Amino acid sequence: MQRRFTAVAATVAALLFLAAGSWATDTAAPEAKVPVESFTLDNGMRFLVVERPDQTTVSAGWVAHVGSANERPGITGLAHLFEHMLFKGTRTIGTTDIERDLEVIAEQEAIQEELRKHYRRQRERARRGEIEDPFDPASRTPEMIELQSQFDALVEEQRSLMIKDEFDQLYTEAGASGMNAFTTEDLTGYFVTVPANKLELWFWMESDRLYEPVFREFYSERDVVHEERRMRTESTPTGEFDELLSAMFWQSHPYSWPVVGWPSDLRVISQQQAQEFFDTYYAPNNLTAVLVGNFDREKVEVLAKRYFGRLERGAIEPPDVVTLEMTQVAEKRMNAECDCQPQVSVQYHTVPFHHVDSYALDVLAGVLNGRTGRLYKSLVLDQQIATSASASQESNKYAGSFGVGIEAKGDHQPEALELAWYRELERLQNELVPDRELQKVKNQIEADAFRGLQSPFFLLVQLIFYDGLGHWEYLNEWSDLTRAVTAEDIQRVAQTYFAAENRVVGLYDRKAGTVEMEMPDGFDDLPPEVHEMVRTQARQIRQMDDVEALAAMVSAAGEQLEAMESPRKEIMGVLVEVAQQRLAELTDSGEEN
Amino acid sequence: MSLHRRLTQLTLAASVGLLSTAALAAGEIPGHPRDLSYGELRFEVPNADSLRHELSNGIPVYVVEDHSLPLVDLSITLRTGEFLETEESRGVAGLTGSMIRQGGTERLSAEEFDEQVDFLAARMSTSGGSTSSGASLNCLSNALDDSLDLFFEMLKTPGFQADRLGVVKGNLLEGMKQRNDDPRTIAAREWSWLLRGRDHFSASQLTAAELEQIDGEALADFHRRYWRPEQMIVAVSGAVDTTAILADLERRLNEWPAAPSGTTEVTWPPTAPEFEPAPGIYHVEKDIPQGRVSIGHLTTVWEDWSDPEAYAAMVMNEILGGGGFISRITKRIRSDEGLAYSAGSGYNQGTFWPGTFTVGYQSKNPTVALAAKIALEEITRIQDEPVSDEELATAKASFIDTFPRRFESAAAVARTFARDEYIGRSHDYWYHYRDRFAAVDKAAVQKAAQERLRPEDLVMLIVGPWEEIGPGDADQRADMSQILGGEVNHLPLRDPLTLEAMP
Repeated sequence: MQRRFTAVAATVAALLFLAAGSWATDTAAPEAKVPVESFTLDNGMRFLVVERPDQTTVSAGWVAHVGSANERPGITGLAHLFEHMLFKGTRTIGTTDIERDLEVIAEQEAIQEELRKHYRRQRERARRGEIEDPFDPASRTPEMIELQSQFDALVEEQRSLMIKDEFDQLYTEAGASGMNAFTTEDLTGYFVTVPANKLELWFWMESDRLYEPVFREFYSERDVVHEERRMRTESTPTGEFDELLSAMFWQSHPYSWPVVGWPSDLRVISQQQAQEFFDTYYAPNNLTAVLVGNFDREKVEVLAKRYFGRLERGAIEPPDVVTLEMTQVAEKRMNAECDCQPQVSVQYHTVPFHHVDSYALDVLAGVLNGRTGRLYKSLVLDQQIATSASASQESNKYAGSFGVGIEAKGDHQPEALELAWYRELERLQNELVPDRELQKVKNQIEADAFRGLQSPFFLLVQLIFYDGLGHWEYLNEWSDLTRAVTAEDIQRVAQTYFAAENRVVGLYDRKAGTVEMEMPDGFDDLPPEVHEMVRTQARQIRQMDDVEALAAMVSAAGEQLEAMESPRKEIMGVLVEVAQQRLAELTDSGEEN
Repeated sequence: MSLHRRLTQLTLAASVGLLSTAALAAGEIPGHPRDLSYGELRFEVPNADSLRHELSNGIPVYVVEDHSLPLVDLSITLRTGEFLETEESRGVAGLTGSMIRQGGTERLSAEEFDEQVDFLAARMSTSGGSTSSGASLNCLSNALDDSLDLFFEMLKTPGFQADRLGVVKGNLLEGMKQRNDDPRTIAAREWSWLLRGRDHFSASQLTAAELEQIDGEALADFHRRYWRPEQMIVAVSGAVDTTAILADLERRLNEWPAAPSGTTEVTWPPTAPEFEPAPGIYHVEKDIPQGRVSIGHLTTVWEDWSDPEAYAAMVMNEILGGGGFISRITKRIRSDEGLAYSAGSGYNQGTFWPGTFTVGYQSKNPTVALAAKIALEEITRIQDEPVSDEELATAKASFIDTFPRRFESAAAVARTFARDEYIGRSHDYWYHYRDRFAAVDKAAVQKAAQERLRPEDLVMLIVGPWEEIGPGDADQRADMSQILGGEVNHLPLRDPLTLEAMP
């Protein structure tokens, strides 16, 4: 059930992974269904409430049924950028002079519109090869620099009118905590925990930002999102490759672009586009609020009507995502080289959230996962070709996938891990899962169901999530449906969804040395316990492309070699030879490597 | 009476205040959220003494009942860890900690043990850290007895099965190989070395050769000597009856065989590092689009848990960079300038040795210097000027009004009190916590900034490509020559297995 979050609440995904829905019906154990009550306002906004009178707080939030899947090329990343914008204040919050503030925003927008025209020309220049990167500050024309400085002046003026981050200020000074939000392909969730006596503050703040939001600091926030992308995607060992794999996996469906958006779109998204997005997707009929904590349910309904009742139903129904994923007709493969542990990721097109087969696929993943699961036992313990291995059915709203990820141990190649997974898969396809093994997975489901209810905040997040996917009742149905899965069901889905032409395979290997390294002759004579160390160093030497540094290293080592004692001397001898080979490669073929 | 029941009574006041006024019933929405009025929220810290029990052999046990779900949590903290390692036994504390759970028992093979635990759907874990080690259990209450049997069998007679040790060591070695992959890992390693020195156990890193030397006998020996009842503090919460669980623990812990005499000397508290950090800029090269930065210095150690200046320092940091979006560093670097997604500061007073003050952010390479300039300006500003009334009030509220959340669950209560006992802090700390924050004023905040922030001692670590970071931004607002004297120490990347400097 792991899903991808790109926004601030990434840990929520990890939490959800541990969670489950509900509980046993066939044992004497206590029933632990969550008593969720719901009501709907005249404008279509729904409320889900769970009373927890033992708390001193209320965990409160709401979900907009919109995510990156509702975007289109040109505005990718808008759903997520929008999530950031909703913390920028309203007509009342965040400014000392709303009239001038709005004028400044309009003036800023006019300048940005001019800049966008320039960027259109910059893209054209880049297409012709006149400049390399249309967004490189160094390639800006004098007019663009002038526009930018006019814009900066307006930002300065706006800053003098603003009450910085007043939205956060008001919550924090009232003792609220954990205010945050997240965006996925399918939904956008906003949440905070408030002291129980200040629940009305939540109604005030959240209805105000839906009623009269003002998108201040739109363009500096765009830069923040860019930094978020650099941090999460571009500066992590596998981020950019995971993004590529996902884009390869989805052929026609909007899930193919990342939630954080393509950088070139982020550069030119306009306030106008944000406004249209808001009008369409943030209408009350597309929202559900969730409250978990210490409150009086009837008073909540009164407050809901008063505060959220003033929102007007949207002029149009939010459009559905109509593009269906094409049936994949051939296997896709990615060969990546990165600063990362060699690993493999195999993904298959399966079924979306709440599909009848999603439960059998969840149990199938359960059979594979954990310390006594099949992947760990076979790949980590028995064959010792991997350090970790896991599988999960990822049920998104419109489509789903089943993924297997395995990290290599020692010099085992990603291809070997891939084959090891296929052998496990064949077992699932050919043999029924034994009773005790299946029962073990079901026992864990039962316990996890209770564990998922321990934290009120976590309950809130689950309700936001499941409602966002279209069916909050999943919370109370999940465990029964999952525990009804039979060994035959598992075998059937294993035979249905795991064909070669239905998969994408991502092979990740350490940069350089993709093929097994030929080690110099002396290597086999070295003590076995240093083999690993020498291989790693050799690998690093083979990644070097600084000729001078390599030459210096070879000559320095050569001088020291005579004075060294065994086995350091032999080790160094081998490494020097590797360095010499690398040096020869570099000098023979120029910089092509 | 369960904790939750008691909390309920205390917090009835919370909902009573809501919507009691006639004005609101008419449907008016106040013009500004500060015009809202609220009922009182009362919260009393649970009485630790009434939750604390002792087994006949002196082991303290905190029990907090909560029968709302059929789950039991048990966690044991031990005054055992890397501080007890010698030069020859480096890595043993951590490996003992993870192998107790993974290596089966004297009676059961690792395979049998794991199968039984998983079939019970229990979660068990053990770990060995720098100044403490731990063991925890979470299970359904109907599986409690079987789970406790397995849990204590594991703690008392771990098997350290050889092939499992081989697997775990092999996996650790693979983890070592990844030491240079993620800029976060590089930064964390170098930062702890810069502040603590490479030799102190809290910062030291194991080499592949040291790992290779560790064998099962070393782990068994460490376990025999230091995983002892007398080092333990126990916290239990959930669907248990206090009397019954105490009897359960008594029976299982009393049978623990005595340690050979003279083998269990634990030096407590752990030895502090003697390292003096050298101020300046340090850089490690890594080809990434965004520099990862830490700027900071050491702070002080808690001598007195009621020291008013320590509370003022925490409030000061909250305003400077600890309070998220409303704090100054975050506001300027993130909201004003869009230079970072994450930017802020942390100030912590150490428990056993001086803690750290750290400003951290990640920014695209050309604006690393600009963000540093802003952060340094803010450090000076909070020393030179008093903070505003609003900033002070908000920072204090963020400690005081969120306080009840620390005791939100039975598990949190039990673990909080057990931790007090582990570090030797009186539970009084919690009873006076809110008052001590309430007493902080603007003068105290400024004094804390002046005395506890030392710009001349700042150490700055940057991981990223220097060619792009050094020259600064295109608009020439800042470059690295203007930061902290401008002199840079380029640190080598470390061989991931030997930790020797790489060419």
